[in-house]
Amino acid sequence: MKNFYNIVKKEIRELMTRQMIFSLVFMILMFGMMGKFIGNIREEAEKSVSMAVFDMDRTPFSQTVVEVLGGERNVIKESSLEKALNKAREKDIKALLVIPEGFEKDVEEMRGAKLEVYSILKGLGIGDLSSSGMLKSAINTINQKIATSFVQEAIPGKNPQDIINPIKIKEFVTVREKTVPGNPEMIQGLVTSQSIMIPVILMMVIMYSGMMVITSMGMEKENKTLETLLTLPVKRSYIVTGKMVGSALVALIMAAVYMIGFRYYMSSFMPSAESTPILKNLGLVMTPLSYLLLGTSLFMAILVALSLSMLLGLFAQDTKSAQTMNMPLVILVMIPFFLLMFKDISTLSLPLKILVYAIPFSHPIIASRALIFQNYFPVIGGMIYMAIFAGVAMFITIRIFNTDKVLTAKFSFKKRRKS
Amino acid sequence: MDKVIEVKNLVKDYGNIHAVKGVSFEVNKGEIFGLIGPNAAGKTTTLRIISTLLQVTSGEIKVFGHSVAKEPDEVRKCISYLPEEAGAYKNLSGKVYLEFMAEFFSEDTNGKTEILKRGIEIANLGERIKDKVSTYSKGMTRKLLLARALMVNPKLAILDEPTSGLDVVNSHQIREMVKSFSKQGTTILLSSHNMLEVEFLCDRISLIDKGVIVESGSPQELKEKYKTNNIEEVFMEVVK
Repeated sequence: MKNFYNIVKKEIRELMTRQMIFSLVFMILMFGMMGKFIGNIREEAEKSVSMAVFDMDRTPFSQTVVEVLGGERNVIKESSLEKALNKAREKDIKALLVIPEGFEKDVEEMRGAKLEVYSILKGLGIGDLSSSGMLKSAINTINQKIATSFVQEAIPGKNPQDIINPIKIKEFVTVREKTVPGNPEMIQGLVTSQSIMIPVILMMVIMYSGMMVITSMGMEKENKTLETLLTLPVKRSYIVTGKMVGSALVALIMAAVYMIGFRYYMSSFMPSAESTPILKNLGLVMTPLSYLLLGTSLFMAILVALSLSMLLGLFAQDTKSAQTMNMPLVILVMIPFFLLMFKDISTLSLPLKILVYAIPFSHPIIASRALIFQNYFPVIGGMIYMAIFAGVAMFITIRIFNTDKVLTAKFSFKKRRKS
Repeated sequence: MDKVIEVKNLVKDYGNIHAVKGVSFEVNKGEIFGLIGPNAAGKTTTLRIISTLLQVTSGEIKVFGHSVAKEPDEVRKCISYLPEEAGAYKNLSGKVYLEFMAEFFSEDTNGKTEILKRGIEIANLGERIKDKVSTYSKGMTRKLLLARALMVNPKLAILDEPTSGLDVVNSHQIREMVKSFSKQGTTILLSSHNMLEVEFLCDRISLIDKGVIVESGSPQELKEKYKTNNIEEVFMEVVK
């Protein structure tokens, strides 16, 4: 085992270069800055939009509208619409709401009164484009108020809402034997976190660990160190596993840094997936056992990635070709990532279903969803499949390492010369 | 006399290319044996097979009585191989590289310290031993690699073109080092296309050309046999 630890230690020392540590620190800073920047934009967009009202009607009713929209302080007093727009531009106002002459009269006579909204764009950023949406929701509130007062006047003694919206929906969600009030959107947060976060974590860890292992093999060949390593009195299986573990540890550090950064970045503009009572009532919660199984499933997927990468790394001639060798692994991760992000496995066609089940990296994603429903069968089945897959890949790798193919194996797309 | 290496009818093919065609030779304990020939003669392939890196197409090789094909792990315990185009881990310092290698050959910390001390001495790089390998010149890297190969006091050192690409001063230092290790009891098998170097170093040589051994003997015997002044002329006579 001494030799195994020695190889692990060397791998970490070789891969954890100053440049790599620098790029990690840079990445943390970049995510932090991006998160803060986007958070600021969001805060700005969420702030009450700077808007103004130009009241050309000047009636008690138009005054009510002005009050709903923030009162006298928002009113621009000018003699014409053009001047009012100029004033709004000067004051850096994003939207001007114009109450035209005859507004009150049109409302009273139920002729469909009109309000005019002028959005003043200075750019195409999120903050600039959200102004019109905010105003429309304010106008909706005004509409509701007007409609309610009309109904109250016309049919006193009745709840105006029962007349405006005579049909109300009472929704229930049923999961297995449990039925609770609510709608499927209420579990959106949980679904989002399961369908995006788990695959993203998986993708990052697999891609980094794969890249590290393949690069490590490419470096051995490029620096001409592999031959010496293979003549040392150390078992070839220790060389294979030592390289895998060393590279995996470095990859995990990198993936963890990226994940923390990514999470911070995402949380700056995505609401956190708070567990609502509906999830608890439906039994859609991750128990400690579920987390343990999910962790094991992720670990098995990493093992598969490492053993496959080691196999691919055998064909890398240098660090440059190592980057290309990573491609098959990336494709294998991408297929289930995109397929299962938009669809559930049960809704896929049979050939696609077979494809997804055959790709080992699909199983942690499938597991993350099955575990919410405490459905353990596909999870354990997936883990057994991944264990067999990793075992076979490792076996083949060690077999190749015990032959001279480790030095001579390479991919060649050139036509073989006829002898 | 104890036989360290026994090579019988060694054949190695790479697909349609026949690199080694029935080579046989023996190396005795304590001697410096040279495998001499031009580029692509089959020297490196033979050394790589003896070092357990390549598998034979046919033939048999024994190192200290262990079959290279059947007991490669036992063979690796006895040998130390320096490939022609070897490199060291560029992100490690020279000292850390030697430390990493010493770990495989030592039973305890004291043993490791002793091997490392010897390695630093052989490399003779002064304070630069603490610098990263990526900052070394070709000569410095070669010295470090030779130190790596010899610091473990191997029973058999296999050196493929030990002075390849080095200047006169560095080549001389390395040749002296190889000689002194041989005197201490290490058996050395080396390859070279530098005939004069071989004449200076080797007790016995085999001339190899196009995968076949064309002549064997001590440099003196061969010079007398072909009535020449040096091995280079012997080689030209043999392959004529």
